[in-house]
Amino acid sequence: MIRIYALIFTLLFAISCTNNKEVQNPVEETKKESLTLYTHRHYDSDKLIFKKFEEKTGIKINVVKASADELIQKMETEGNQSPADLLLTVDAGRLVRAKNKNLLQSSSSDLLNTTIPTHLKDSSNYWFGLTKRARVIVYNKKTVDSSDLSDYEDLVNENWKNKILIRSSNNIYNQSLMASIIANKGEDSAKKWAEGIVNNFARSPKGNDRDQVKAILANEGEIAIINTYYLGKLINSKDSNEVAAGNAVGIFFPNQENRGTHINVSGIGVAKSSKNKENAIKFIEFLISKDIQEIFAKANYEYPVNNDAKSSELLKSWGQFKEDKLSLTKLGELNKKAVILFDEVKWP
Amino acid sequence: MFLKIKHFKRDFNKWTLLIVALSLFLAIPIFSILISLFSGNGEMWEHITSYFLFDYIKNSAILIFGTGLLTFTIGTSSAWIVAKYTFKYKKVIEWLLFMPLAIPSYIVAYTYVGLIGYGGTFIEILRDFGLSINRIEMMNIYGLIWVLSFSLYPYVYAGTRTIFQSYPSQLKHTASLLGVSNKKYFFSVALPLASPGIIGGMFLVFMEVLNDYGAAKYYGVNTFTTGIFRTWTALEDLQSSIYLSAILVILVFILVLIVKWLRGRRSYNLKQTNAIHKNEIKRTKLSGLKRILYLGILLVPILFGFILPLMQLVIWGIQTFDSMFNYDLIILGLESLSLGLSTALLVVFLACLLIYLSKWNYFKQFNVFSKIATLGYVIPGAIIGVGIIRTSKSLTDLFSFQFNLEIGHLVYNSILVLIYAYMFRFIAVAYNSIEGNTLKLGKNLSESSYLLGYGKIKTFFKIDFPLLKNALISSFVLVLIDVMKELPLTLILKPYNLSTLAVRAYEYAEDERVAEAALPALFLIFLIGTMITLLNYKLKENK
Repeated sequence: MIRIYALIFTLLFAISCTNNKEVQNPVEETKKESLTLYTHRHYDSDKLIFKKFEEKTGIKINVVKASADELIQKMETEGNQSPADLLLTVDAGRLVRAKNKNLLQSSSSDLLNTTIPTHLKDSSNYWFGLTKRARVIVYNKKTVDSSDLSDYEDLVNENWKNKILIRSSNNIYNQSLMASIIANKGEDSAKKWAEGIVNNFARSPKGNDRDQVKAILANEGEIAIINTYYLGKLINSKDSNEVAAGNAVGIFFPNQENRGTHINVSGIGVAKSSKNKENAIKFIEFLISKDIQEIFAKANYEYPVNNDAKSSELLKSWGQFKEDKLSLTKLGELNKKAVILFDEVKWP
Repeated sequence: MFLKIKHFKRDFNKWTLLIVALSLFLAIPIFSILISLFSGNGEMWEHITSYFLFDYIKNSAILIFGTGLLTFTIGTSSAWIVAKYTFKYKKVIEWLLFMPLAIPSYIVAYTYVGLIGYGGTFIEILRDFGLSINRIEMMNIYGLIWVLSFSLYPYVYAGTRTIFQSYPSQLKHTASLLGVSNKKYFFSVALPLASPGIIGGMFLVFMEVLNDYGAAKYYGVNTFTTGIFRTWTALEDLQSSIYLSAILVILVFILVLIVKWLRGRRSYNLKQTNAIHKNEIKRTKLSGLKRILYLGILLVPILFGFILPLMQLVIWGIQTFDSMFNYDLIILGLESLSLGLSTALLVVFLACLLIYLSKWNYFKQFNVFSKIATLGYVIPGAIIGVGIIRTSKSLTDLFSFQFNLEIGHLVYNSILVLIYAYMFRFIAVAYNSIEGNTLKLGKNLSESSYLLGYGKIKTFFKIDFPLLKNALISSFVLVLIDVMKELPLTLILKPYNLSTLAVRAYEYAEDERVAEAALPALFLIFLIGTMITLLNYKLKENK
């Protein structure tokens, strides 16, 4: 019996070792060009994109996936011996944090400068937005008239008492939204706004963005604040209930008459520790090329930052909208303030 | 504590040295965290204490109390029925009772919403029967207690069952002769005698509950652990979050001491009689009304902890089969398995070493070190990750400073660091269940062996090892399961070309694509199920 176990054991170990060959020979690996990407994104489309990059340039992308905070902590402790070449996050705030912790380096590229609008990148080119997501209001088509909706600020109105669905303040997208309100309206009004939203909660915050939409269908509330691409995913889900939930709601872009709808980006920066800066920039340029931007748009329902790229049919059907041009750096700087205010008004 | 040391020269032996060295090696991350405490709490500390800390502690306390009560009831009742009665399909039921451990609890949390949330599978079935229920609300603290209890009770069940099974029948006979009713026998004799197993199992449950992040976050319940993460990620104050973790560690350390104290007062030498009358363990055959009732009691945890979540996962798995099933999945499975097997072997070995070294060492004061080494189970994985990365940084700094060697690329991407992290994290799992069993063995057997001239190591292999075999195998499998399900450490420390099924499932769930997470989760359950089957088979063989 023990012999059989020993055999299985060695076999499995051998398999795992063959998979780790590259770890044990890091020198060999650097000969074959590669980039190490620390990323918070875990979408199938990303894997496809990395593969395309390898086919085109021969540079392999090694991916380390974890939450942005963990990755930043990792880079910070690893210091200049960190294997990271690039940091990819799903919000600008974390990139601002990484820059402030001196983990990124500036990388100038004419292509990046001309393609990405200034408010979607760092002013000294420490990081660049890759795709946009808008935080919008969705409403129950049956019970809500979209003409009653206007601004984020209007949601504190008595009419919406017990009707608003939104997730916990632990969520970075809510923190960014709050930061944008602090930036635009000042701290006191922002606090009052959050208080008003808490008063109008349909239920105590729980679940993710998709669950808020499902709760509309279940008549737990009438409007929800969610990110656009989750709606895209609901509508294209394989679960018929999710499709039903996605189709039952209408989408509304708030603040069209004034500053525009709040957006955030998934963005990337070159790590300070990178020894392959040239290739890293090449990779970022590749990510904002027209074809790749269209993959982001089609597979993941994100808005491209490259204006030449076409957005998906679904995104087109939601129509054009005016976006808040507030510098995303501001969001990063105000993120912590936003969380403090959330705590003060007891937004769980 | 150390003032009491007398006869240092007489009592000092090589084991003393070894246990201190081993414990220190295992406790490096703890020290790294403790050292950082000297820089005080972080800048957000006042905000934390004035706005949310106490609410979060309250929630954690409610969770501990609720899950404690439920897992105790479910775990001991099912263990008792399985240990004392025979019935049809017993083997299958015994196996199924273990199976909830195979599903990560955050996945269970998602499946319940998929089942009885709005438009859930079960709700649709009810609707077909004409019942107009919209949903059953799971996403609150009670739902969380439910989910965690039904996915964690096997820890109590596993620890208790082995002990119940070892009761010789004259124990019951004696009780009956003295006029004790069945009920009284269970509550006043059987349960207290099983307390090492129950306490050990519940300790693991509490650690898991304190460490749960995914399920609590999804259900919108703020606990001590979600607070640690909020402090770190949202309030950008790592220092305070390490401080919070340290408080948690201290609380747990107190809990460990209480457990130790409780166990100390109740050491029963059952095995002595058991060794003589081994064949006298009798099991009653269940029949009649009792049979239906008892089987019902067994089916409840199986249904809610395993079958229902599994059913929902299968439905999701079928929905997404075309896009999710590929060769990659099998490789991932093999990677998870080999990582789990190698770690579990190491962990069981080290746990035995720790336990026996503290037996062989005469300075009982030093055994506190071995307790420190087992604290890894309670610290949130991500914080351990920070501790370990910091330690590896000191190591790489040392190398570049002393020898001018840059080993960063080796350390930061090495599987060894990951395995060390697992060891640190899960040694408590093996330690607790093995220690409970060694206490049951008592000292007499080994002391007789010493008198007969055998050395300590030989005695271990000739006497203790065969008697502990079952406990060793079950703790091996428990660790294996834990490693295969592990998330935060794996995410942050794994080399980039290695991944596990749990990581894959998490990536999809995190992106709100729960249905896509089902297939990796199912494959994980399949592998763990196979391991549990092997365990049951092995345990039977050794009987």
